[in-house]
Amino acid sequence: MHNIWLIAKREYTERIRTKAFLIATILIPVLMGGGIFGVAAIASRSKTTSHIAVLASTAQPAQDLKKELENGKDSSMTVDLLPAAASHAALDKEMENKQLDGYLVITAATAVGRRPTFDFKPRSTADMATSEALEGALHTVLTRESLQSRGLSAAETAALMEPVTVNIIEKNGEHGDSKTSFYVAYVLFLLMYMVVLLYGMNVARSIIEEKTSRVFEVLLATITPDELLTGKILGVGAVGLTQVGIWMITAGLLAARMGATSGVSLSVTQAVFFVVYFTLGYALYSAVAAALGAMTNSEQELQQLNMFLMMPLFLCMGMLVPIVTNPNSMLSRIVSQIPFCAPLLMDLRISISMPQPWEIALSIVLILITIYAVLWISSRIYRVGILMYGKKPNLPEILRWLKYS
Amino acid sequence: MPIVELEKIRKVYDTKVAVEGLSLTIEPGTMFGLLGPNGSGKTSSIRMMIGMTVPDSGRVSLFGKPFDRASLHRVGYLPEERGLYKKMKVLDQLVFLGQLHGLTEATARARAVAWCERVQITEAIDKKTEELSKGMQQKIQFIAALLHEPELIIMDEPFSGLDPVNAELLQNTLIDLRKEGKAVLFSTHRMDQVEKMCDSIALISRGKLVLAGSMREVKSSYPRNRVHVVFSGDESFLTHAEVAEAKNYAGVAELKLHHEAGAQQVLAEAVARGTVINRFEVKEPTLEEIFIEQVRASFGDEEARGIVDA
Repeated sequence: MHNIWLIAKREYTERIRTKAFLIATILIPVLMGGGIFGVAAIASRSKTTSHIAVLASTAQPAQDLKKELENGKDSSMTVDLLPAAASHAALDKEMENKQLDGYLVITAATAVGRRPTFDFKPRSTADMATSEALEGALHTVLTRESLQSRGLSAAETAALMEPVTVNIIEKNGEHGDSKTSFYVAYVLFLLMYMVVLLYGMNVARSIIEEKTSRVFEVLLATITPDELLTGKILGVGAVGLTQVGIWMITAGLLAARMGATSGVSLSVTQAVFFVVYFTLGYALYSAVAAALGAMTNSEQELQQLNMFLMMPLFLCMGMLVPIVTNPNSMLSRIVSQIPFCAPLLMDLRISISMPQPWEIALSIVLILITIYAVLWISSRIYRVGILMYGKKPNLPEILRWLKYS
Repeated sequence: MPIVELEKIRKVYDTKVAVEGLSLTIEPGTMFGLLGPNGSGKTSSIRMMIGMTVPDSGRVSLFGKPFDRASLHRVGYLPEERGLYKKMKVLDQLVFLGQLHGLTEATARARAVAWCERVQITEAIDKKTEELSKGMQQKIQFIAALLHEPELIIMDEPFSGLDPVNAELLQNTLIDLRKEGKAVLFSTHRMDQVEKMCDSIALISRGKLVLAGSMREVKSSYPRNRVHVVFSGDESFLTHAEVAEAKNYAGVAELKLHHEAGAQQVLAEAVARGTVINRFEVKEPTLEEIFIEQVRASFGDEEARGIVDA
């Protein structure tokens, strides 16, 4: 026990002290949070600010369009109204100089009851935001015009054009926001995915470190390979938990600071299950990584076996959308019981829509059994593989190692 | 009470026999040399001695008792494949390894500092291992094996890669430890070191013991049939009937005779033919000669029986 503690302590203190740990601790949440919330925030809040020109022969609907585009729900563009005869060549020149983002030509309808035609020439055809804003604004303007032409008052028209809101009510009866609860589930999923991947690989690497530097020969003169393996998994694992702990506490403090305004809340259930599944998933993947580390002699060889660690994680990634859209389908229930996916997917289901208690219990039992089995196998591989170097073992050899006591 | 007792240990890796029926005993206060060519099973034997691998058959006893992991705290081991944590500071590393051998942190720290002074690497104490020269790293590993004051010190090729000054420093340290009553086992190919330092030797070749005993016994079991001659003039005495083999390096000759008694006859012949003899020394074979002879014989016998694979 004392030896395991010493190994774990060394592994932990040496890793915590590195710059890589500090950088990862700061950078990962910044990148991830920035990535997810940043994109979401930009997509939901930003308005199009393009500068366009409208060429029209009549005042309407050009003037209404200008008003809508300049002060609309999704846009605050700059709009110049020009007569239809304005020179296209001059406008093209302005676009080339990047003073203008595009121009719209309104040709009046040829027959009564027909819509006018709209030709938009953008500076960049990839500028979807501007053309979408245009389409939206034109639709609003034309509908309003048509309603008013049928004798409705301005107030009636405004009431009809009012957007519809759907209130999301959570199980506890409070108002929720399906978007933010999805984001929380998504962030927890990604967090677990990254940490399991990163630290799983760290376990494998730290085993290879001892092999390449031959330190284990000295260590094995006093301790057993099992003690070394356990100490390493615990030590590297504690680093991962410390890192996640720092992130969670920081997130908690930030959330408390911003409070209600952020609108993001992590329930106690979510947090508890996250910790449980994170610990289990971490232990499972570390055990697999330890076996991979024991089989290989160098980082390069490890890279080749890396896919065994990645494949179940990719499967989980692929199952993300089906589960989010339909958390209680048969597919979701089955894949979330696979021990290698359960830590990520069952936790995801829990934070989206609580599964049956027996499902949770079953998944935990399955993971525990798998951890035990994988550890049994990796400690055998480790015990033999650690003293074998120079040659990469093939599968029959590894299977033979399992028979050694 | 012998410190180490191996009884007919055998280890087979897949199809290769690494060690075959090896028995040997190491008494306290001896400097024991484990000799053998590359791949002869020295490291495999040492690993079984300290329980890193378990023999397929045979018995290992340490300190008079059947092997038990608890007795490993009384053993210091310097492996042939040197290894230290590259990014760790020297002192932290020594303290860590000392703790693994059952020392408290404070004791390990105090002893590590004292040892660094003893082997003259005080300036390395606060550095990371990767910043040190190979020789310095080797000294640190040497200290790591001795920090917990083991009663049995096992060193696999302890002096390889050291300059003569440092090799002598470590040799003297080992001699001091032997004087304190500790048993030292080391393996090497350097016969001159063994000849100078060891009380007892065991020579293994192809996993089998071919020669064992105290240095005196081993040497006296060989006839004093080597002659070192420094001469000038006529060299026809080198073809005398008593001479089995002669190597003549222009005025300095190494002779191997058929019998011990032949030396006088060869000398008489040389004098009779008018050769000027500056030096004529009758010697026992060196350990190196014994080593080469025995190893060749062990390979030759097997080949003769036709069981050597390519």
